[in-house]
Amino acid sequence: MSDLDDFKATYFDECSELLTELEEQFAAIEAGERDADRLNAVFRAIHSIKGGAGAFGFSALVGFAHAYETLLDYVRDGRIEMSDDVVALCIRANDIVADHVKAAQTGEALPADYGMDEKERFDALARGDAAAGDDEDGDPLDEFDIEFTPVMVNLDAPEAPAAMAAGEAPVDDAFDSAPMQIEPGHWEVRFTPHRALYARANDPLLLFRELAALGEMHVRAVLEEIPPLSDFEPFAVYCSWEITMISPSLTEAMIREVFEFVEGDCDIAVAQLGSATAGFDIPPAPEPVVAVPKPAINEEPDPADLLALADDEVATLLDFSADANVAPEPQFAPEPEPAPVSVQDSFEEPPALSFAELAETIQPSPVAKPPTPVAAAAAPVRVAPPAAPSEGEESGGNRSVGVQSIRVDLDKVDRVVNMVGELVITQSMLTQQMDETLRARYTELVRGLEVLAQTTRGLQDSVMAIRAQPVKSVFSRMPRLVRELATKTGKKIKLETIGENTEIDKTVIEQLSDPLTHMIRNSADHGIESPETRTGRGKSETGTIRLSAEQAGGNILIIVEDDGGGINRERVLQVARDKGVVAPDVNPTDEQIDQLIFAPGFSTASEVSDISGRGVGMDVVLSNIKKIGGSVHVRSWTGKGTRMTLRLPLTLAVLDVMLVKVGESPYVVPLSSIVETIQCSRASFERVPSGGQVLQVRGEYVQVIDLAQRFEMVTETDPENRFVVLCEAEGSAKVALIVDDIIGQQQVVIKSLEENFERVDGIAGGTILGDGNVALIVDVQGLKTTIVHKNAA
Amino acid sequence: MEALGLRDDMGDKSAVAAQNSLQLIAFSIGEQTYGVEITTVREIRAWNGATPLPNTREFVRGVINLRGTIVPIFDLRARFGDGQTSPTKNHVVVVMSVGDKWVGILVDAVSDILTVSRDDIHNVPEGNSIDTELLNGIVTHESRMVGLIDLHAVVSGAKMDG
Repeated sequence: MSDLDDFKATYFDECSELLTELEEQFAAIEAGERDADRLNAVFRAIHSIKGGAGAFGFSALVGFAHAYETLLDYVRDGRIEMSDDVVALCIRANDIVADHVKAAQTGEALPADYGMDEKERFDALARGDAAAGDDEDGDPLDEFDIEFTPVMVNLDAPEAPAAMAAGEAPVDDAFDSAPMQIEPGHWEVRFTPHRALYARANDPLLLFRELAALGEMHVRAVLEEIPPLSDFEPFAVYCSWEITMISPSLTEAMIREVFEFVEGDCDIAVAQLGSATAGFDIPPAPEPVVAVPKPAINEEPDPADLLALADDEVATLLDFSADANVAPEPQFAPEPEPAPVSVQDSFEEPPALSFAELAETIQPSPVAKPPTPVAAAAAPVRVAPPAAPSEGEESGGNRSVGVQSIRVDLDKVDRVVNMVGELVITQSMLTQQMDETLRARYTELVRGLEVLAQTTRGLQDSVMAIRAQPVKSVFSRMPRLVRELATKTGKKIKLETIGENTEIDKTVIEQLSDPLTHMIRNSADHGIESPETRTGRGKSETGTIRLSAEQAGGNILIIVEDDGGGINRERVLQVARDKGVVAPDVNPTDEQIDQLIFAPGFSTASEVSDISGRGVGMDVVLSNIKKIGGSVHVRSWTGKGTRMTLRLPLTLAVLDVMLVKVGESPYVVPLSSIVETIQCSRASFERVPSGGQVLQVRGEYVQVIDLAQRFEMVTETDPENRFVVLCEAEGSAKVALIVDDIIGQQQVVIKSLEENFERVDGIAGGTILGDGNVALIVDVQGLKTTIVHKNAA
Repeated sequence: MEALGLRDDMGDKSAVAAQNSLQLIAFSIGEQTYGVEITTVREIRAWNGATPLPNTREFVRGVINLRGTIVPIFDLRARFGDGQTSPTKNHVVVVMSVGDKWVGILVDAVSDILTVSRDDIHNVPEGNSIDTELLNGIVTHESRMVGLIDLHAVVSGAKMDG
């Protein structure tokens, strides 16, 4: 069932976005912003995760998310106070939800009791509340093991935008509806549209909106008449609505006025509650709401009987819903939960294949049924008066005002990036073809080319911006890591993040996660001291790790700073000498010692913990960062802290290079690795016993690689006229490349050699020059290592 | 109805023909003719120079820009061990797909499109290892011998150390 797999993939995509949002929201909540918006955002996220999980039958995830959601609902209602304890529990719960999602995605099984402790704590909190509260059964968490049988189908019949079938309201909603008092000023409206109403292009939603403006409104869709799918007639009207209006000043005339234009095309019954003509079976007085599952006493036909769907039919249903979703008609997916998506949202949002929305059409149906018609009548659709906007409307506002986005396959973007790269090259080729005589003769053409150049550059920037993403997506994973590390090490650690909206190329971001994890681990494990030590040193008990991102010219700087003890240089040097990384007679500077932590296999930890100490971490940082054309720098202040700076290119697609000639062939050297260029006649070469050459540059001796010789090219250039390109290779070791000529600097688009060929030693890739010829990119690091190997052999 | 029946007949015939016959692009190196299956050929272009690739065997002539992708060029003469071709504007590069890669093969000239029967393909006689290694088979067309190039073998072993 590949369609289902597609939906699953979409669901997991959305989950990861939602989990990121959760982290963000809780970061703010933890910082003290405990307003309703944040809580609602959290609620929505958890609810969306649960909804999708239910549709796919990830029962462990559903169970946990449901318990969590119940807790959140209590907090939202103010039944449970948002204390620090609760926040901490919620943060832990987010981690568990994330683990459940991951387990569902990878198919790994989590321990059966995973998250049970937390679940019990939710339970305890809820119980405590229930005991203090009314006669609700204090164990709403018993519902976890309910079967989620999808009972709701979204049939987007052409003339019935609001064709729908409601699931039973979950028990939580009984709580919501309980406070709804039935007293004078309450009106019941039964609205039964005829076929003609839709034929005249009237929309019940507009009527409901108008009604909602009159006062508090509760709407229930009457779906009992919906026939089985096989008997479904597309143009028939099966749905009617029962509306409860609450407003002290409301009169029947006001209600009737709303329906004035559709009067002939529908049946309208308006009755004041408690009067003899009460429209339908709502008891005049509230009954105690009891949340015990009592399926037997439910007198209404079970919607599950009308549209009963086995689990294996869910897939079919999904397909069907998908069709409905892409149909041009707006569709109506009522939300039995306390409305994370309000009625307006469902209509106003363009039909999109979002999984969360899709999931709404297949609602979990708890076995526990609302015990009284009151609850049932109130639950499915709630439209609050504009004067007191509901959380649903706020969510709608957030969504439409917030960043609108589309999901695009990265391959497609890359294709555009490549083509724009070609365009840039063609454009520069055209410009090069314009010699002086042509310029003088065709001024219009020259002007056109100039405009073309500008437009192309603009296009290139815009395309690169598409690939750019805020570093937030990586940064947001770090708070959890720090929490875990703090727990494991018994230290108190606070994480501060700055500049998380800084944008970098997506590929760079993907490569950033591992290095950042290692750096933060290192800071938490080696940098931050234990609370006792910190107090002893006169620092606050809680250590701080600051993670920041900023743009500096064509680079992005990612800085990980801690206020810990700094690098223990004596120890580092000692270990380095023991491991033979540093020769006994060499005395490196402080800065050089600091860089030693990036050496492979290097670890000062006396014990290998499960956090760090295996010595693989920091050299992974270095190699990953080098791979994406960045550099790492570490600086440490004894007793005060350590700062590690990652310098990353803004994009990987375009490389600033120096164009050189080796023999008759063009080569390019990445500008980021070039330190300086020297004319050979001014450089001072020295011979070493092996017969090779070294270059003396400001008191430093540097290995020399003659590229013509290395690449077996014939060169006829006078040695005096050749150039030295001094490059910095990995670990700040320098290497001097000798080239025949320096042509200039330019930007190039990197092309892979491996795509049609294979890796070539000393070559990092290729690029296409303005004249259409291929130039090869010199792999400075690769050249240096191949030399080392040759020497060793 | 007759016309329809006729068409069906023709369809069957061509299907049978397609199963049994093979279309080749034939090209020459010196006096010798070689062929590759026409479906693997992507385009034929005149030699216009290539950027040499360092640290590769002599039969790798370098890389060219084929509408934005970098494609390696193999010198078929050098691959057969007859020394590098000294290419002129009249030499031809046949761009082919080998697996999911595109490669160019430098030959002296492209001569013909041949249709041969699969039944007529003979095994390469045992003897010289270069022949058996690089050819899939031999077919006779108008009393000329055409060697069928094994593209996978031709493009392998391009690096210095193998």
